[in-house]
Amino acid sequence: MEILSWTIQLAFVPAMSPLFIGIVRKIKALMQNRQGADIFQPYRDLRKLFHKDEVISQDASWIFSLAPYLVFATTLIIGAGIPIFTLFFGSIIPSDFLALIYLLAFGTFWLALSGIDVGSSFGGFGSSREMTLSAIAEGGLIFSVLSLSILSHTTNLFGISSFILSLGFSRFAIVIGLAFFAFLIALLAENSRFPFDNPATHLELTMVHEAMILEYSGKRLALMEWAAANKFLIFILLAANLFFPWGIAGSLGIISILSALGILTAKILILCAFVGILESTIAKYRFFRLPDLLFTSFVISAIVIELIIQIQ
Amino acid sequence: MDYKQIIEQYLPSMSGAKTYGNLIMQGIPVENIRSVINHLYNERKLPLKFITATDERKEGNGFKIIYIFGIPKENLFLAPYIQLKETEDFPSLMEAIHAAYGYERKIKTFFGLNPINHINPAKMILHENWPEGLFPLRKDFHWQSRPAEASAPYVFGKVEGEGIYEISVGPVHAGIIEPGHFRFSVAGEEIINLESKLGYVHKGSEKLFEILDMNEKVRLSERISGDTSFTHSLAFCQAVESLAEIKPSFRAKYLRVIYSELERLANHLNDIGFIMLDTGYSFGGSNGARLREMIMQINERLTGSRFLRGVNVIGGVTKDIPPQTSGDLLEELASIKKDFSEVINIVENSDTLLNRLKDTGKLGRQIALDHGAVGIAAKGSGIQIDARVDFPYAAYNEINVKIATEETNDVYARFRVRIKEVFSSVEIISEALKNMPEGELSENSAKISLKKNCYSVDIAEGWRGDIVYFVATDADGNISRVAVRDPSFVNWAVVGHAVKGNVVPDFPLINKSFNLSYSGNDL
Repeated sequence: MEILSWTIQLAFVPAMSPLFIGIVRKIKALMQNRQGADIFQPYRDLRKLFHKDEVISQDASWIFSLAPYLVFATTLIIGAGIPIFTLFFGSIIPSDFLALIYLLAFGTFWLALSGIDVGSSFGGFGSSREMTLSAIAEGGLIFSVLSLSILSHTTNLFGISSFILSLGFSRFAIVIGLAFFAFLIALLAENSRFPFDNPATHLELTMVHEAMILEYSGKRLALMEWAAANKFLIFILLAANLFFPWGIAGSLGIISILSALGILTAKILILCAFVGILESTIAKYRFFRLPDLLFTSFVISAIVIELIIQIQ
Repeated sequence: MDYKQIIEQYLPSMSGAKTYGNLIMQGIPVENIRSVINHLYNERKLPLKFITATDERKEGNGFKIIYIFGIPKENLFLAPYIQLKETEDFPSLMEAIHAAYGYERKIKTFFGLNPINHINPAKMILHENWPEGLFPLRKDFHWQSRPAEASAPYVFGKVEGEGIYEISVGPVHAGIIEPGHFRFSVAGEEIINLESKLGYVHKGSEKLFEILDMNEKVRLSERISGDTSFTHSLAFCQAVESLAEIKPSFRAKYLRVIYSELERLANHLNDIGFIMLDTGYSFGGSNGARLREMIMQINERLTGSRFLRGVNVIGGVTKDIPPQTSGDLLEELASIKKDFSEVINIVENSDTLLNRLKDTGKLGRQIALDHGAVGIAAKGSGIQIDARVDFPYAAYNEINVKIATEETNDVYARFRVRIKEVFSSVEIISEALKNMPEGELSENSAKISLKKNCYSVDIAEGWRGDIVYFVATDADGNISRVAVRDPSFVNWAVVGHAVKGNVVPDFPLINKSFNLSYSGNDL
């Protein structure tokens, strides 16, 4: 049973992330009255890309070649170290939220570097926009999780999760809800979703994330795409397990694992539906209006922290 | 007004004016042309529709440069021209009329005539691999000759300053669109200057018009800009009909109105959808595509062609709309209109969408006027211009058309103009279907003969703006010159002004709000 649990803990993010990307796309397609591709299409896309040859610019340096591995590896490490379906690994896995945020930043750093490495104009402004956005998004991201951390007196993600679980439905429900809202904005920004970026666009001049990986093809592109899917699932898992940890497995029995996975899937699907519906009902924001939204996330988090300190 | 009055009114103390149908040609001595044109344009406020040239050296007339003005509300054209017999230089009119800039450069490129005092008489449309001193629209250039490949450098304008850098985009773009190269000079995200380099789809269409036989000419006019097949061929057919003195029946005229409005509907619905899609508003995007498809299927059912090709012929149209179909069409249009209003009600309440459209890509009214902008670009900047009202061709003189304009100059204004025109097109089609008289579809065009040494000008309002055709015949009554002015040719000049000061990620949206044709510009 322990082997099964460990397998799920380590492999859940990379194994399942393409599926949830597929589900978001399917929801968007249905919202637009299209049939849309099958939800397993992202797996086929990855398989296709892994079988393709690459074209690498002659101006590319080692940074361009190395970056996809680093970016992908970062998401694997983060994905293995966050609460997924059970809190039992909390004492074994060193899981610190500050470490998580800076591991994410490490991945973003290499992604941005790879964008400017070849010297194409699109990669350059993709990286410049990504750095601008992620620098501003970081405030909201850190502070929203920090508020939970202050509440639970720990920076360990499993610790936070089990504390929030123990709170049940308390007077903190409202502040946790607010912090979740701030986190959600950061989630959309960090994952290049609406209203920050349009993951489905073909317009080079408007791209952020896609512009950075525009020069990649074949296997390295597959890694970049997969890493982006992993990152999306990591954020969804954090949102589900830090803010709403109910249903997480209390023991390592088969029934409890299955029910935890079932509840987790339901939570992830709700969040995917939220992203899909959001992307079908609003337009992308004007680029210079994005910082306003990110500051909102930051300010809400700051208010939440103040409230928590007051209540405690 | 008859011709005499018009000549007296606009060109007093001139003699030797000739009238060709609705076109009045008046030779002007070269030294007087500046003052005459200045008078017509700046004092009489006549709209300059086209400046083009003909090579009549064989007939002993040298080159002619023809300045075509329209006389609004009359469907009449006044064309002063100059003859260049001994010289290849002609005075540039740029100082008095900014709109002459592009036309004169084009004459320079294709006829090798030099506009004196033009600020930038550089080659356009033809690329660096085209040799110097070879002018494809001169009669001594054989259409099948293959010039030696040249490689002249192309120099983009330079913007210098701290933190200014260049972004080069295209000619090949992501997505299935036509090719064109854009060079942005930007400070951070803000666009300081945009230089567009077009000409990648130059096909020698104007030369081809001189070679092909008549039916092929009509087919070629349908392919000048594929999304405007019907209105382009309509303008061409009308120009030839006036040369052949053929008068299409009223039924044909009404059918032409109906088909050109269907074309407008399809393209506007498509653009409305794409403008929204470019902001990432996928609800609007997919609805635009859906509504456009409904019109395209109507087109196919009525004519067998989604793009209404093969419908126009010299002397009329080939496809009728029988009474029972007409009833169905009315019902269908009413339901599309209802459907469209529902969609528009939803999108007009989307803050995020309106925030992207409003105040983006402002095109100042004066800039639009100075460049002679036409169609949606001009209407969005509050200019009342529409060939259906100004030069009522086909059956438009019997139909009530209201010019749709907006005053805010931005992407939203051009978006709104399209929405208004969708509603008005539905009205026009319904009115035309109800009032359509009986009659022959087309005159027998098998043995048409054109008047000799004759000229004709025709204008039709395509969905982008007015399309102008100038057609000339030689001493044998064969077509010796067809000059085409797609609205894109004039409107490309204003896109660069509209994007200034906007951020780079808004360029695709602004560009889409104009949605100009590359093919129509490059010919």
